[in-house]
Amino acid sequence: MWNVVKSVLAAFFGVQKEDRRREDFEQGRAGAFIAVGILMALVLVLLVALVATLVAR
Amino acid sequence: MRTFIVWMAGCLVVTLMVPVAMAQGWNMPVGVTDVSREVHSLHMTIFWICVVIGVVVFGVMFYSLFRFRRSRGAESANFHEHTTVEVIWTAIPLLILIGMAVPATATLSKMYDPSDADLDVMITGQQWRWRYEYLGEDVAFTSSLATSREQIRGAEARDENYLLEVDEPLVLPVDRKVRFLLTSDDVIHAWWVPELAVKQDTIPGFVNENWVRINEPGIYRGQCAELCGRDHGFMPVVVHAMEEEEFDAWLVERKEAAAQEAMGVDREWEMDELMERGEGVYGNICASCHQPEGQGSPPAFPALAGNQQLIEDVEWHLDKVINGVSGAAMPAFRNTLNPVEIAAVVTWTRNAWGNDTGELVQPAEVAERLAD
Ligand code: HEC
Ligand SMILES: [Cu+2]
Repeated sequence: MWNVVKSVLAAFFGVQKEDRRREDFEQGRAGAFIAVGILMALVLVLLVALVATLVAR
Repeated sequence: MRTFIVWMAGCLVVTLMVPVAMAQGWNMPVGVTDVSREVHSLHMTIFWICVVIGVVVFGVMFYSLFRFRRSRGAESANFHEHTTVEVIWTAIPLLILIGMAVPATATLSKMYDPSDADLDVMITGQQWRWRYEYLGEDVAFTSSLATSREQIRGAEARDENYLLEVDEPLVLPVDRKVRFLLTSDDVIHAWWVPELAVKQDTIPGFVNENWVRINEPGIYRGQCAELCGRDHGFMPVVVHAMEEEEFDAWLVERKEAAAQEAMGVDREWEMDELMERGEGVYGNICASCHQPEGQGSPPAFPALAGNQQLIEDVEWHLDKVINGVSGAAMPAFRNTLNPVEIAAVVTWTRNAWGNDTGELVQPAEVAERLAD
């Protein structure tokens, strides 16, 4: 599970090691990546909203 | 090494051209508001960041292209990934972007805060002119292009402010926060004055807000910045920023002019209208002393009916009513009656009770006297 999170974070950043990518494609389940991806996207949105409200005050 | 020096020299020349361009006035103006200064300094900061990035990136790129060209036997390296380098070249732009976003956001939030304004001005775009309304002051006017047809056709020499002149500029005070409420009557326009760092769309059915606090008196010119039809290029904006006292005086004058216009000072009045109005004014104000039939009650209050001097001399008559008689009980009406009322009551007294002079006094004449 931790590996999935790390891979999703790497995808957000845009840089991934070739070995890890291969590993994900061989062993990971697509559903897990999609679920974690959506979740993390929501977290990102909330984070940006939080920063915006803090700054606007 | 030689090529490297040549490239670096080239980059330096480009960089040095920037101050030249700024001196020539090709750059955006610093402007005359705190916000416009901030916008300018943001623009310059970000510009220089871009220049540095450009010099570094293109410097390395061109240097590599020449130094390692094929004719000199260079072989391309064949590697696929390098995580550290990739992380670095992703992280650096990220940090630069955040570094630019922080001050930019701070300025932006200032620009979007029109609260606590001292003056509200409604700006309405119309094909192809601007309408300005000083809200709560009963002052409104339309501002249209003043450049002559001859200049536009090219029959006359074009002057310095060609297509940037209007018949009536928007007059604003310095050192006060002025809020703009912007909308349009027809299509989308944009009200743009570079020196004020304001460029705001005016959209039919919407009211956009913006604001300025001008630091220096002067004339600032701008244009419509949204393609709005045939005469889009012929609806300039001119702002005349005045010292506060000067502005207040201007506003009072405009208010009076507007009030007079509303009363009909500028139009030609008929005898009947003036007589009707004059009878009312006389009954309300003059009759208590000069009596309802104009007979007066001498010696205290002279008669107006059959008053020979009155019948013969309009000027004298007007003078008595406008300026009163100092030292006697006849009040001056210059500030208590408006030009229409004065003209009406004078016309009435010159034609009632057998004073059949047949003369009528126009409100415009009275207004002119009052202005002296
Ligand atoms: C408070 C009383 C008062 C009122 C109100 C008043 N008047 Fe008079 N008016 C006088 C007195 C007193 C004189 C005489 C002044 C003098 O000693 O020359 C006079 C003089 C005049 C004269 C000059 C007549 C002359 O023979 O010297 C005219 C014209 C006149 N009034 C018109 C008006 C009109 C028009 C109004 C209404 C808008 C008006 N007055 C309202 C008191 C009044
Ligand atoms: Cu327009």
